[in-house]
Amino acid sequence: MTTLSHSQDGKRPGNPPGRLRRFMTEGPGFAVLMLLPALLVLGFVIGLPMIKAVILSFDTITLRRPAAAGTIGLHNYSRLLSDPDAWGAVLRSALYMLGTVAGSVSLALGAALLTHRVIRLRALARLTFLLPWTVPAVVTALVWGVMYDGNFGVINRLLDVVPFVSGHDWLIDRQTALFALIIAQVWNEFPVAYIFFLAGLHSIPEELYEAAKIDRAGAFAQFRFITLPQLRYIIAVIVILLMILGFKAFPIIFILTGGGPAGATETLTVLTYNTAFRSLDFSYSATLGILAVLVSLVLVLGYLRVMARADTGKGGAV
Amino acid sequence: MTHGRRRANLMVADVLKAGGIVVLGCAVLFPIYWMGVIALTPTGFSRSLSSVFPSDVTLENFVTLFTERPMLQWLWNSIVVATLSSFLSLAFGTSCGYALSRLKFRGAGLVLILVLATQMMPATSIVVPLYILFRDFGLLDTMQGMVLGHISLVAPLAIWMAKGFFDSIPADLEGAARIDGCTRLSAYWYVALPLAMPGLAAIFIYGFVTSWHDFLFAKTLINSQSLWTAATGISSFRGEYFTLHELQMAAALTFALPVVVVFLVMQRRIVSGALSGSVR
Repeated sequence: MTTLSHSQDGKRPGNPPGRLRRFMTEGPGFAVLMLLPALLVLGFVIGLPMIKAVILSFDTITLRRPAAAGTIGLHNYSRLLSDPDAWGAVLRSALYMLGTVAGSVSLALGAALLTHRVIRLRALARLTFLLPWTVPAVVTALVWGVMYDGNFGVINRLLDVVPFVSGHDWLIDRQTALFALIIAQVWNEFPVAYIFFLAGLHSIPEELYEAAKIDRAGAFAQFRFITLPQLRYIIAVIVILLMILGFKAFPIIFILTGGGPAGATETLTVLTYNTAFRSLDFSYSATLGILAVLVSLVLVLGYLRVMARADTGKGGAV
Repeated sequence: MTHGRRRANLMVADVLKAGGIVVLGCAVLFPIYWMGVIALTPTGFSRSLSSVFPSDVTLENFVTLFTERPMLQWLWNSIVVATLSSFLSLAFGTSCGYALSRLKFRGAGLVLILVLATQMMPATSIVVPLYILFRDFGLLDTMQGMVLGHISLVAPLAIWMAKGFFDSIPADLEGAARIDGCTRLSAYWYVALPLAMPGLAAIFIYGFVTSWHDFLFAKTLINSQSLWTAATGISSFRGEYFTLHELQMAAALTFALPVVVVFLVMQRRIVSGALSGSVR
């Protein structure tokens, strides 16, 4: 208000450069000035590729048949609807998400329950369960690749000690490859859930446990009737966040198996990549990419809903 | 139940808990430990390791890595790309995050959701059309293209985190500056921005790490080995030299170490950043 009356009384109310300057520093121009650079950059590096993806998906850009370029139509989409490889990939993505969510949530919850009341060596205990998160996915893939190695891998060596279990080519066997990848992924990403669970456990009022102790509730009953209900919003947030991470997962799968053996670990992201850079069918790959974007939009909307509910409910730390 | 027995039960529970932490902790740390053991084992000898403890410790794998492989070049490329893409994302993203936090305008909610969605969709969906576009623009296999690609990863994150940091700074100070005659722009530049400095530093580091870790863009947009980032460089050791576990692990360790050190130094801030909803 003060600035407004000040400049009206001032000597240059109608001065064009002054007005422009005020428009940019005070008026609607300010919002434009603040937003435009980022929106332009995002438009170039994300918006433009998305538009290009839509255009590609209606076209026929494949290096196998260069002459077919310019054949416009819905053929990629009709192919998608009846493509068993694509739906198989969706199913494997779903399995991968399910496996990583289940594994990460149980490992993280277990670790959080064990460590959240630790007093001695508290920092060390926490660091232990946070450290895998700092390891790049590429390194995770390399390390687990070395450990899974059928001939010299340490996992098989350790299993030699266990009776009735023999060595196994974990990443080459169709039956175990996806499971082996899920374990590597869980190892890399469960600390995300661990952080959330630690914060959640700290936000549970201590009185609830004291009251339960007076009622002689055992440890399991306390967990079942106090801890779990109190954590329900955090669990919901974590589950959907891990689903998003699991759906996006690429480097661990790609480096360890590349989608093999015989497509057994080809999730939607890996299939999208392989269709473009191995089959060189860019148009169909773009179509698969759009399908993936649609799936992740559903997940993001779910995430926003859960976050909104966690905010209005007794969300605790989230 | 007598008092003494109850106390004994509690002690048993504590011991079990401590045991659980140790067992689970060792299992979780084992892959990192094993990476170190193999990296320090003489080339070719990891297959004959007879226990989980190192027998012959040597640094020869690291020497090989830096003298016979272009590891130094790859690390340098990673540093350049990560610094540029994180700095540029911060430069563009901060003002956008401020606008989203402070200004009421139509479509703010939509912009926020779009930013979040771009951060959460699979990068493979972007990278294929980006590859075609960059091929047409002549940006394939160039550092500029690589930096632009990484901005698409880092910028949404920077915007989202910047909004969070500005949300946590009370608007009163800027209000006071405005009463003293500051324009909105100078209130942003001289009041809000300095207050957000620690947050901006955290965003820079987060962005740097995101770019450093990226494998997909580096693999897709770059072809020449001399322009590879460390992520693509070290992943090439799998398959090509697949029997050389020792060299692979030395490379992996070298690549992971800087980030781990940064994490140890900045642990608290990174953890709170993650909790504010900007994971990866």
